[in-house]
Amino acid sequence: MAVEFTLNGEWRDFAGDPRTPLLDVLRDGCRMTGTKSVCRAGFCGACTVMVGGEPVPSCQRPIGMLEGAEIVTIEGIAPPEELNPVQRAFLEHDVVQCGMCFPGMVITLTDFLRRNAAPTRSGIKEALSGNMCRCTGYERIIDAVMSIRETETPAAEAVSR
Amino acid sequence: MNMKVDPRTAVMDMPRRDARDKVTGRTRFMVDMAGSDVLRAVVVRAGSGAAKVLRIDTSAAARMRGVRGIATAADAPQLHGVGVMDQPLFVRDRIRYPGEPICAIAADTLEQARAAAAVVVVETEEMPACLTMAEALAPGAPLLHPDWKSYECIVDGVARGGNIAWEGKVVRGDVDAAFARPDVSVVESCFRVGRQSHFPFEPRGAVASYEDGRFHVITSTQVPWTVRAVTARVMGVHASQVRVTVPPVGGAFGLKFDASIEPMAAILAKKTGRTVSLVNSREEETQTCLCRENADIWIRSAITPEGKIAGREAVVLMDAGAYGGEQIFLSTMTAHTLGAGYRLESVRMSSRVVYTNTPPNGAFRSCNGAYNSFALERHTDEICEKIGMDPMAFRKLNVLSDGDPGTTGQIFEGDVLGPMLDRMEALRERTGTREHRAGDRLYGLATTVGTWNIFVGPSSATINLNADGSVTLITASVEIGSGSITQGVPQIVAANLGIHPSKVIVKGADTDAAGYDMGTGGGRTVVSMGAAATAACEVVRDKLLDTASELLQTPPADLVLRNGRVEIRDRPGSGTTIETVIARAEQTKGPISGSGAFTAPQSAKAMPGCAAGHFFDAMDLPVFIVHEAEVAVDPDTGETEVLAYRVVQDVGRAINPRAVRGQIQGAVIQGIGYGIHEAVTIGADGGIEQTGFETYHMPLAQDAVKVEIDLYEGAPSCGPMGTKGIAEVAIMNGGATMACAIANATGKRVQQLPLTAPKVLALTCGIEPVLDHPHISRRWSDNILR
Repeated sequence: MAVEFTLNGEWRDFAGDPRTPLLDVLRDGCRMTGTKSVCRAGFCGACTVMVGGEPVPSCQRPIGMLEGAEIVTIEGIAPPEELNPVQRAFLEHDVVQCGMCFPGMVITLTDFLRRNAAPTRSGIKEALSGNMCRCTGYERIIDAVMSIRETETPAAEAVSR
Repeated sequence: MNMKVDPRTAVMDMPRRDARDKVTGRTRFMVDMAGSDVLRAVVVRAGSGAAKVLRIDTSAAARMRGVRGIATAADAPQLHGVGVMDQPLFVRDRIRYPGEPICAIAADTLEQARAAAAVVVVETEEMPACLTMAEALAPGAPLLHPDWKSYECIVDGVARGGNIAWEGKVVRGDVDAAFARPDVSVVESCFRVGRQSHFPFEPRGAVASYEDGRFHVITSTQVPWTVRAVTARVMGVHASQVRVTVPPVGGAFGLKFDASIEPMAAILAKKTGRTVSLVNSREEETQTCLCRENADIWIRSAITPEGKIAGREAVVLMDAGAYGGEQIFLSTMTAHTLGAGYRLESVRMSSRVVYTNTPPNGAFRSCNGAYNSFALERHTDEICEKIGMDPMAFRKLNVLSDGDPGTTGQIFEGDVLGPMLDRMEALRERTGTREHRAGDRLYGLATTVGTWNIFVGPSSATINLNADGSVTLITASVEIGSGSITQGVPQIVAANLGIHPSKVIVKGADTDAAGYDMGTGGGRTVVSMGAAATAACEVVRDKLLDTASELLQTPPADLVLRNGRVEIRDRPGSGTTIETVIARAEQTKGPISGSGAFTAPQSAKAMPGCAAGHFFDAMDLPVFIVHEAEVAVDPDTGETEVLAYRVVQDVGRAINPRAVRGQIQGAVIQGIGYGIHEAVTIGADGGIEQTGFETYHMPLAQDAVKVEIDLYEGAPSCGPMGTKGIAEVAIMNGGATMACAIANATGKRVQQLPLTAPKVLALTCGIEPVLDHPHISRRWSDNILR
C-alpha cells in the first residue's frame, strides 16, 4: 500500500518498501538531491529535513512511518530564487567551503532560530551537536547566525509548511 | 609589453560563486549524479588481511538477478603506484590488507549488486602478517612484496628492499663530530603518531560511461590528470582513451589526490555498455581511507652551550600500509619538515616507507609535516627543558633567517620566521591570554613553528575572451572547497585584465578541454594555476592592446586595462570598453584567446650530494607558520579544552583575506582534531577498526574555538602577485601545538598523538609507558639500506 505524504507542500506517494529511509525516497525516488547522504547513521546531520515541523535526520526515518507527514526539504525551505535569512547570512559571511553539510545546517539553524530569537554562541553550538562540518571549523557558521540575530528576526514562515 | 599589474587590484573579499547553490541544495556532486538510468556498482572486498588466494569465483554472482557486469583482475592487467608500481587494482594471487578489492559488480540496483557480492567465492589460505612497522622491519619478517625487485620504479638506484618500499636520506656536515664535541648537551626523543582519517562528506566514487570508444569518468577527485593516467594504465589502454571531468568536490583534504576506484567504474561501463555509478559506502570509505600515515620517529640533537644546534640526526618510519602510494613521494618531505625551521650546523635524516598488512595510507593536508612538526616541536621543548632555556628565546635564536642553509643545503631567502614569532607575541598582547578560564584545571600555553613547501609544478590554463566582455578560464583545477578556483584564480585573472572577477567564467575541470595540471592540493593551485593563468592573460592582453592600439591610435605601451576598459595611461575613463575591442578583434584578427603554462622555477638548489631518494632536493616555495594555543586539562578526566588558539601565517599576499581566514579556521580545527580527538586504530586483523562517524571523533561545533589570526604578508614568493598557498600549511601545527601545550600543562613527557582524554589521563596518572622505539637503532647508519 502506498504511503502518502506532503513534500514541500505537494502531495506525493511512495509504493516501495516501507522500510526505505526517507533519505532514499527523496534522493532516488524524487531525485531531489539537495538532502545529502553522508553517514546514513544519524550522526552527521547532512540529511536533515523537516518532518511535521521538527528537524530530523531523514536517514533514520523509514518512509512507512511517515503516512500523512508534512516534509520540507532544503529545496522547499525558501521559495525558488529566494534565500531564507540563514542562507543569506551564509553567503554574506563567506561561510561555505565544500558545501556538503550546508543543506542540513540550513534546516537545523532555520528551525533553531524560529525557536530562539536571541541565541548565544554556545546555544548555537549546542544546536549544531547533530550537524558536523569537516571544512569550516564552525566558528564562521556561528558568526553568520549571530549576525541574523543582530539584523533581523527570521519570521516563522521561513520554514514553509 | 608586459606591464606590471598592480597586485593590490586583485585584493578583495570576493564571495564564493558556488555558495548559493551549495546552501540551496542545488549543487550536484558526483554522488548526486546516479539517476534511475544508471547502473549501481559495489566493490567486493577481502574480509581478512594477509592471505594467499586459492580461488576467486564470480560465476554465481554473474547469474544473480539484475547483474550486468563484473570487473575482475583480468580486466586490469597493469600495476600502478606513485614512484613504485606495486599495486594491482584487484587482488591477484595474494591479499595484503583487509578491505582490498577483489572485484566490482554492476547491477540495476544497489541491492542487487550487494546481493551478488555476497555470493562471490573467495578461497584463501592465511599467511603470516606484519601488522606494525616494528614487525615488518624485524629480521626474518615475512615480505609483503616478495617480487619488489621486479616492480617498475620511476627512478633507478633508489634504496629500497624487503619491506622497505622506499628510503630517502639526507646528510649534510659532520654529524658525528658534532655529537663528539665535549661541550654539547645531547637530547634524544622518541615519538609515535596514529593515523588521521579525512572523513570528507562526499566519499570517493565515480560515475563512468563508455562513449564513442572512449571512457568518460566523472569523479570526485583533486587530480583529474592522475585519474586519467591511472585508469588508462591499469586497463592497459592509451591515456587519450580516458576523459575525466570533475563536478564540485564534497571535501577531499588530500584523500582524493590519487586514483582509487575510478578505474573499476570505467571497466564496468565498458563491459555493460551503460553508465555506472560506483561509490564507497561510509564504512568502506572509513575502512579503506588513505589516511595520514602512522609513524615512529627518533630524533637526537647536540646543543651547544649557547643553545645552538650543532648536530641533529633522525629516523622517521612511515607506515605505507600494504602499498607504497603517496608515502613514497612524501618521504621527501621529512627533510623539509622535520629538518626545517631551525639552523642546523650538521644534520642527517633517514625517512623510510615501510610496508605492513594494513590498509594503504595516503596524503592528508600537510601530510607528514603534521607529525614531523609535532616531533620537531616537542623535541625542541625537550631541548629547552634539558638546557634550561626559554622555548621562545630558543626559537628566536635558532629559526632560519635570510641566507641560512636548510637541511639539504638550500639557501633560504628572507627573514620570515623570526619576525613572525615577534608578531605572535604582539598578537598575544592584543588578544590577551585566557588562563583565568582554566579554573581548577591544568593550564598550558605553547608556541610552535612550522615549515611546509608549496608543491608548485606543472599547470596550464587557457583564456577565451567573449564579446560580452567576460572571459572563460579553462583549467583542470578542481574546486574542493578551498576557494582556490572559485575565488583566488579568477581574482588573479581579473586583476590582470582589468575586469571584475564576476566576469571570469571558470570551466569545470575536464581533461578533454584543459591542458595538463598536477592537481589541486599541496597548496599549489593559486600559485601554479594562478601563474599559468597569468601567462595566458599576458597573451590575450597583448592581443587586446594590439587591436585597441589601432582603434585608439595610441601605442600599446601607453594603454592599460582598467575597469573593463582599455584606457590611455594616466587618463581614467578614456579609451573604449573591452567589449568593443574584443568585437573589433573578432572581425579583424579572429576571436582572442591565449594559453599559458607554469612549472617549478627550479631556482632553489640543494647542496650537491646532500640528499638521496628525494623527489626534489630543494623547496621551490617554502611557507611558514607560527601557532600558539592555550589549553586547560582536566586532571580527573584527561579532557583537554582549547581555551585560545592564535595563528601567524606566512601568506605571501592575501588576495582574498576573508577566504584565507576561513581556510585557516577550518584547518586549525582539523589540526586540533588530529591533536586531541581523532583516533584511527588497527585491529588484530590489520584492518581499521573505525566504521564511520559514530566511531571517529571529528571535531564538533562544541569542540571548536575561534582562531585569532594575523596574516604575515610580504615574504618572498614566486607565486603570482606574491601569493602563496594558504590552505594546506594551516593545519600543520595543530598536533604539535596541542602536544606542547598539554606537555606544559601537565608537566609530562608527551610522546604520542592523538592525545585523547584516556591518553592524557594515563599521562597525568603516570601510567603511560615511556616510548623507546627498540626497532630504531641508536646508531643512525644502521637505519639506512646499503
